[in-house]
Amino acid sequence: MDLAALEKQLRTLQADAATRISAAASTAELDELGSSLLGKRGAITEILRGIGALPADDRPKIGVVANEVRAAIDASVTARRVALSAGELLERIERERVDATTPGPAPRIGSLHPIPETIAAIAEIMASFGFVVSEGQEIEDDVTNFQLLNIPEDHPSRDLWDTLYLQEPGRLLRTHTSPGQIRTMQAGGPPIRVILPGRCFRYEAVDASHGFEFHQVEGLLVDRGATLADLKGILDELAKGLFGSAARTRFRPGYYPFTEPSVAVDVSWPGSKDGWMTILGAGMVHPVVLENGGIDPETHQGFAFGLGVERIAMLRHGIPDLRAFLENDLRFLAGFR
Amino acid sequence: MKIPLSWLREFTDVQLTAEQLADALTLRGLEVRGVERWGANWNKMVIGELLEVAPHPKADRLQLTKVRIGDGPILNIVCGARNIAAGQRIPVALVGAEMPDGRRIERAEKMGIASEGMLCSGQELDATDDGDGILILDSSAPLGTPLVDYLGEDVIDVDVKPNRGDLLSILGLAREVGAITGAPVAYAARPLKEGADAVGAGLALRVADEALAPHVVLRVVDGVKVAASPDRVQMRLKAAGLRSISNVVDATNYIMLELGKPTHAFDRAKVGETVQIRLAKKGESLETLDHEVRNLDATDLVVADERAALALAGVMGGASSEVSPSTSSVIIESAIFAPTSVRRSAQRHSLRSEASHRFERGQERRLATLGADQVAALLTEWACGVAQTGRLVTGAEEAPATTLNFRPSRVRALLGVALSDDEQVALLSSIGINADPAADATKIAVTPKRSVSAEKGSARAVRVPSWRSDLEIEADLAEEVARLYGYERIPTSVPSADLPSHRPSPTLLRDRVRRLLADAGLHEVVTHALVSAAQAELWSEPASIVTGPLAASEGSAGGASIVLQNPLSADHDRLRQSLLPSLLDRVDANLRYGATSGAIFEVGRGYGSTKGAPSEWTRLAVAVWGDREQGAPSVGATAWNLDELKRLLAQVAHLVGERPAYGSSIESAVLHPGINAVITGDRIAGVLGELHPASPIWRDEPRILLAEVAIAGLRAGRVETAQIALPPATPPVTRDVALLIPAAATVGQVVAVARSAVSRATNVELFDLFAGAPLAPGERSAGLRFTFQPSATGADDEAIAAELTAFEGAVLRACGARIRGVEGQ
Repeated sequence: MDLAALEKQLRTLQADAATRISAAASTAELDELGSSLLGKRGAITEILRGIGALPADDRPKIGVVANEVRAAIDASVTARRVALSAGELLERIERERVDATTPGPAPRIGSLHPIPETIAAIAEIMASFGFVVSEGQEIEDDVTNFQLLNIPEDHPSRDLWDTLYLQEPGRLLRTHTSPGQIRTMQAGGPPIRVILPGRCFRYEAVDASHGFEFHQVEGLLVDRGATLADLKGILDELAKGLFGSAARTRFRPGYYPFTEPSVAVDVSWPGSKDGWMTILGAGMVHPVVLENGGIDPETHQGFAFGLGVERIAMLRHGIPDLRAFLENDLRFLAGFR
Repeated sequence: MKIPLSWLREFTDVQLTAEQLADALTLRGLEVRGVERWGANWNKMVIGELLEVAPHPKADRLQLTKVRIGDGPILNIVCGARNIAAGQRIPVALVGAEMPDGRRIERAEKMGIASEGMLCSGQELDATDDGDGILILDSSAPLGTPLVDYLGEDVIDVDVKPNRGDLLSILGLAREVGAITGAPVAYAARPLKEGADAVGAGLALRVADEALAPHVVLRVVDGVKVAASPDRVQMRLKAAGLRSISNVVDATNYIMLELGKPTHAFDRAKVGETVQIRLAKKGESLETLDHEVRNLDATDLVVADERAALALAGVMGGASSEVSPSTSSVIIESAIFAPTSVRRSAQRHSLRSEASHRFERGQERRLATLGADQVAALLTEWACGVAQTGRLVTGAEEAPATTLNFRPSRVRALLGVALSDDEQVALLSSIGINADPAADATKIAVTPKRSVSAEKGSARAVRVPSWRSDLEIEADLAEEVARLYGYERIPTSVPSADLPSHRPSPTLLRDRVRRLLADAGLHEVVTHALVSAAQAELWSEPASIVTGPLAASEGSAGGASIVLQNPLSADHDRLRQSLLPSLLDRVDANLRYGATSGAIFEVGRGYGSTKGAPSEWTRLAVAVWGDREQGAPSVGATAWNLDELKRLLAQVAHLVGERPAYGSSIESAVLHPGINAVITGDRIAGVLGELHPASPIWRDEPRILLAEVAIAGLRAGRVETAQIALPPATPPVTRDVALLIPAAATVGQVVAVARSAVSRATNVELFDLFAGAPLAPGERSAGLRFTFQPSATGADDEAIAAELTAFEGAVLRACGARIRGVEGQ
């Protein structure tokens, strides 16, 4: 075999390879073809076996040719691969295409009830002023629910609370969260900043705005210098926290036996329907109540407030009927996010 | 308290509109429930003048009238009343008018003659009780004017608080109005001209208990002609919300509204020689004016004569001495009774009256005489009465004057507003609380029972008006100052000093549990704590389920059911011991609403009483039914079942670092006896299972599953900070153990043995459970996978093998279960 014959073989291989490469139908076929031409046992290697028969001077020359052929084949394989893989990608995309616009499975929707959530909202606002939640007992006695709160037996102010009594004499279901004031004061001295949320009970016929079971949040602050002005400041912040920063408050005299002076607080906010809405009762803790809590009214003073959770939740969520809270219709509850 | 403004204007000048006055009163602490225009329903009714009254040609009982109403055409109106005559001014309902009873006035033929409207009686207008005759108006009534503009009345309804009995009167409210407007307030008592007879002749007054009736005044009025009150009186009472009865009764009611002083009129002829105020005798009874016979209690105070009880003092009169059309002489009783006594009697007999309402709130002493005299004066004016000379009186007519000292500096400190001493005194004087010139006050009433000494010169003294018995302590005056100054003018601030130390919120863990459950697709509910007897009997947690520290922190269930003394209904007459019945009730409701699937939970309390000591405990209850997750084209729906409920509880328990274990089942009316288990653990314990098939709520599909558990910290616990060891680089290893469990044993028992015997295992899971051939009936094959975390040094295989060997022996002894093989690396 001479130089010319070898060179011719290589050039023929090159031409033949070019035809076959361009005819390759897939990247897999091309990969196979590529290794049959360029691999360790490929066609070029096979041809170059004949190199040993050449004179030593010719060997480098055929090496140059072989490298040229190898490079040419390699280049056309690469070019063909680019062309093939783009097509194959498109084909894969088409083959795997689905309708991704289906609505997807229904989510697992759970919810938190508006009553505990409203309590939590109040607790969160009051926490920023150092008030912490404390929860008391629902079964109370006449002494703590009434008498220590400056509501003596046989006093007309008792008419403000229609009470559910237990068969056990002297025991009742708390009519308000206010006995928590007494228990809080008795448990530890000032300074006190606490809110007392919980369930309350009254002998009351059920309608759209009344129930015999409902929830209140009591607030109590006792220190050396808290004033009626402070009460206004804190409750104004509470109202804004609950009804938005544009909410306005109106403070007017109220009457509760356990506060003096007593305050009624109305709120109005953009979008509120009926002008001023009364949302809570409050006042400076009555000296008799402070004394019953073991605190000297000459050295300490403070304020207390109480609000109806159902009423706040109704106003905040636009709920027209308080009975929905205990009805617990899942269609109603699912609305609370 | 309804106030017709014309009445108010008799005592003070009011330039404000009713709405302005209502706002001003509300801001001064007199909450106005509403403002109404009495007579506003008189549409198309005007004042007319009778020009002619002639007999109807075809009907004797009808008359033909010609009526002029202003400048319009003369109207022909047929009328049935007899009290009309030409020249009178009368109310005319025009064609198209709607009467208060809903009747519409049409142009009508009456016995062949057209009638163009109707002349109205007081009853037809709902203005007086007179239905027989036309309401004859004053001859100065302006012709053609709408009737409401002439007879109508602005009425303000004030919610009077229990401490201000003095405001249950027009005069009392006039004082408040005067403080707002600055206009003077004056009460001009009607002069009383007495007759020749002296009151003492034939009548005596004896008060048995001066503590219960400290002051009593009697007057006698003779020659009374009982009839209807004058029209204007009837209308005024009606506008104020009271029914007109007769001129005598109306006179007492009129003075009650005007002065706030209830009095009572007895028919003199039905009363003996001595009026006695005494406690009722045992077995005594009294028929009250509402014709109920009342069995009196020995603590009821009565007005009596020498024979029998005549009235329940301060509450209601008696039928036997009631004023009737034949009455010609009346005794007016005007007394001060002990508020508590009146309140107890009214409560005992469920008999709340306008009088008892006022007596309970305390009476100004000097009103006893004034009230008696004013009623007598009205009887001379309205009923031709002649008052006998003098009164029968016991007790002092005036209460001793009281002064109250206060420290203006203390008022400033309480209110947080810079009001000088003089400003405070001026504010108080605007409502008649006048400062005493003696400025040597030092004794300060901090509470009704405790006084302190003020520094000389630092306090002011005020004279408490006789009607302001609510002013007892310094803080009461602080409220008056604030109220009169205006709450709206007090600045707002935020308290700055004296913060308490940090205390964690007791709801931290509870809120995490609630959020976890909501995220898992459950809806939180709040249900009734008050349930029926049937609900309460359904289930109560035995004290054996939640024990030890968990019972201490969350409350121990048990004891007797707590029953109400005065329930609203049998459906809610006792406190629940378990949340499950309340929850089931809501499952039932939601099934009725069409919720074929659902999942709800509540964190709430159970209540019980042990030896008279009530206790409350906190539990989490869950009820689930139907699909846990809806399906989609590529995934099937998953239904709630015992395992899914356990997965949920395991997630909850993970928050307190525990894996629930399941022990033997319980027998109850609420849970399926064959599908339930007790949950045991140090930090979570309770029950779970399927609803009992005997329950009325049970259905084959969907099944309802329930759980109720105590969780450590749910009531008031902290979220504990977990202590974490870094994991070694070596991977965990597992051992799968196949066991044959005999029919008598439960998987729960086997797992419990596995957990205690193989203490090195970081986890034990049941990965396979098989029953049926070729196993014997009841026999089961179980696969338990133990996971171990070898230490970094390795070489734990022997220890693991040793524990598994120990387990083999233990599980055989405890449960009769045999290990069939162990696999793993």
